[in-house]
Amino acid sequence: MRNHHGTVGSRFPHRRSTLIATAVVATVTTLAVSGCAGQGAQQNTENDPNAKVTLSFWNGFTGPDGPALQQVVDDFNASQDRITVETNIMPWDTLYSKVLTAAAGNDGPDIVAMSAGRIPQYADQGLFQPLDDYYENADFDSDALAQSAVDASMFDGENYGVPVNIATMLMYYNKDLFTAAGLDPEKPPTTWDEFAAMVPKLTVDDNGDGKPEQYAIALADHETVPMFQPFLWNAGGGLVSEDGKTSELASEGSLEALNFWVDLVKDQKASPVGLAGADADKLFTTGKAAIEIVGPWMTTGFEEAGLNFGLAPAFAGPADNVTLADVVSMSVPAKADETTKQAAYEFFAYWNSEEGQKTWAEGSGFPPTRADVSSQVTSNPYPAIFGDSSVIDNSQTLMPGIAAGTTINDTIFYPTLQKALNGEGTVDELFTAASEQVQAELDK
Amino acid sequence: MTTLHQAPTRGDSTGPARPPAPRRMRQTTRRAITAWLFLSPALVVLAVFMLYPMIQAGYLSLTNYNLIRAAEWVGLDNYVELFADPAFWNAFWNTVLYAAVVTPITVVLALALAVFLDRQFVGRAFVRTSIFLPFIVSLGIIAIAWAFLMDPNVGLLSYWLSQAGIVSSQGVLSDPDWAMPAVMFVGVWKSVGFFMVIYLAGLQSIPGELREAARLDGAGAWQRFRHVTLPLLSNQTMLVSVMALIATLQAFDQIYVMTHGGPFFRTETLVMLIYREGFQELRFGYGAAISWVLLVFVFLLSMIQYLFFQRRQVRF
Repeated sequence: MRNHHGTVGSRFPHRRSTLIATAVVATVTTLAVSGCAGQGAQQNTENDPNAKVTLSFWNGFTGPDGPALQQVVDDFNASQDRITVETNIMPWDTLYSKVLTAAAGNDGPDIVAMSAGRIPQYADQGLFQPLDDYYENADFDSDALAQSAVDASMFDGENYGVPVNIATMLMYYNKDLFTAAGLDPEKPPTTWDEFAAMVPKLTVDDNGDGKPEQYAIALADHETVPMFQPFLWNAGGGLVSEDGKTSELASEGSLEALNFWVDLVKDQKASPVGLAGADADKLFTTGKAAIEIVGPWMTTGFEEAGLNFGLAPAFAGPADNVTLADVVSMSVPAKADETTKQAAYEFFAYWNSEEGQKTWAEGSGFPPTRADVSSQVTSNPYPAIFGDSSVIDNSQTLMPGIAAGTTINDTIFYPTLQKALNGEGTVDELFTAASEQVQAELDK
Repeated sequence: MTTLHQAPTRGDSTGPARPPAPRRMRQTTRRAITAWLFLSPALVVLAVFMLYPMIQAGYLSLTNYNLIRAAEWVGLDNYVELFADPAFWNAFWNTVLYAAVVTPITVVLALALAVFLDRQFVGRAFVRTSIFLPFIVSLGIIAIAWAFLMDPNVGLLSYWLSQAGIVSSQGVLSDPDWAMPAVMFVGVWKSVGFFMVIYLAGLQSIPGELREAARLDGAGAWQRFRHVTLPLLSNQTMLVSVMALIATLQAFDQIYVMTHGGPFFRTETLVMLIYREGFQELRFGYGAAISWVLLVFVFLLSMIQYLFFQRRQVRF
């Protein structure tokens, strides 16, 4: 054994000073390198209409809709030889976590598709540029577009997006499970009360272990397309007021809706608790849930699973019968120069042309963004059903134009809903407290 | 934090053949230069990828940076807000709970497995490999597999439990009482193999005659373990404890994949919160402030551990 303590005193200062020197050198070098890189980006404000442009288009259409999207892009690339759009398809989660760092650097996307509800948050932080001049240009024929799809990407009086799609939610119900429960498979529930009366028949616990083998409905309470929120609208409530200034989470209508649904799910086991969106889809796909209220993207999956399902408008609440519209919009990062932006406009116009929308609707099952195409879509029945004016006109988007919308939804509404569903307090107490948090977010 | 050991030197002999002072100085300097040259690649990597980001994060924590706009100086506002933020304290106590449960279980289990697998028996290599295997697979991938096994509707584990009469109407990962134990379990399962290997190496470095001597003195199996093996493993115990504690205080991967911090933030650790504030709320300045608080906390705990074990250090 060797004792080195005698040398510690003399060596330590020396070591420390060298360490600091090394660190300083390394830091300065790194700063210098990153400083140089920053000077390369120069904004060009002139549009060059003849320049060859390659646009990197990020989106999250990983499902059966991906090939349809690629088809429209290929058609666009073939239709002219100046602009090339290259798609980069990744899961939405990945896109949301990468888009910031990519946009902060210089090799980010030129076009980003994202749920329109998220655009205000990013626009507020300066990630995107306003695209109002797109809608002012008559050549782009944007008057034909569904107004709710266009308005979904508004923030602070300016429009930051051009629609990719508008997806409305309808009620899918499993006809075989209805028949097995002794219900008429052609008469899905049309009101909340009709549905509540069916729950004891559609939620089945054969072996009596307290865990049903089949549920009346699959309602997801996190990481999902909003399923509970439209219930609030249909009882006359909501999350926030239309002008985005006041929380409505503790309004009479909201609490009525939440009490009704929390009771159905928690006490009568109408749906499992703690489902993510993908779990809810899986439950309906495997015939373990009789109803799911979801968008057109599930038609392919449900057909492939061989389900005998029907489609109907979701049951009406005591005050209203509104369904959710989920809009995906394309945006252009603030860093893009004028040439890039104008090239992106050419692509947006093609995407939303009759030709582009016909290809997209037939391939994806999404309703077209323009009503005049609906009659031309013949090979796929679903775009006409989800895009029917009775559905589109009764749909609304969740918290459009509200920068704190994502935060309110993900960090206040869902956690509070989960608490209520797990019996961690009464609906009235929990959501009254949550409403104060929502108000605080809106006041920031 | 564990690099405070001194490199062995041979220049401090005090015998009569001591070389003249100037020559000794030169020799020490030359040796120092050699040592620094050997260290420099690692130091450069550390400086560029650890020290610089750390300093940068320290600066960002004093700004309202959001990755897009230029950062504005806000002084200590982020820290003031943080200590009054219930989300921070929730994440802090979740992290402390996670570390306080996972670290001791991992260390004790690793030691038990190492002692058990130090014996000769048929299939030993297979068992050792099986326990070590989770460590070399990405935690993210492991977490996906476990989330699938624990799925309430299609999961194999849920099915077995239901056969045994244990029925949960919702999946463990969305159950507020069971989500934390589930992610803790995966954390232990993932890292126990690695620490077991460190202990195995330690066991093999203990000279056989020490245990032999204890046996001749009439010590039983437990006494030999308690008074010979365990004290001689304290170097490994220090290493394993410090590493395990640092790792558990940074728990993120399996939580991100399996529960995303839910249900209602029951499994949100500090690193999850940093991720949420930074990448979801776009508040990089605030996220950086949380990460600095975490850094100081980890540093203090590691120092306490180091001081505690330093007195128990053994050398052969």
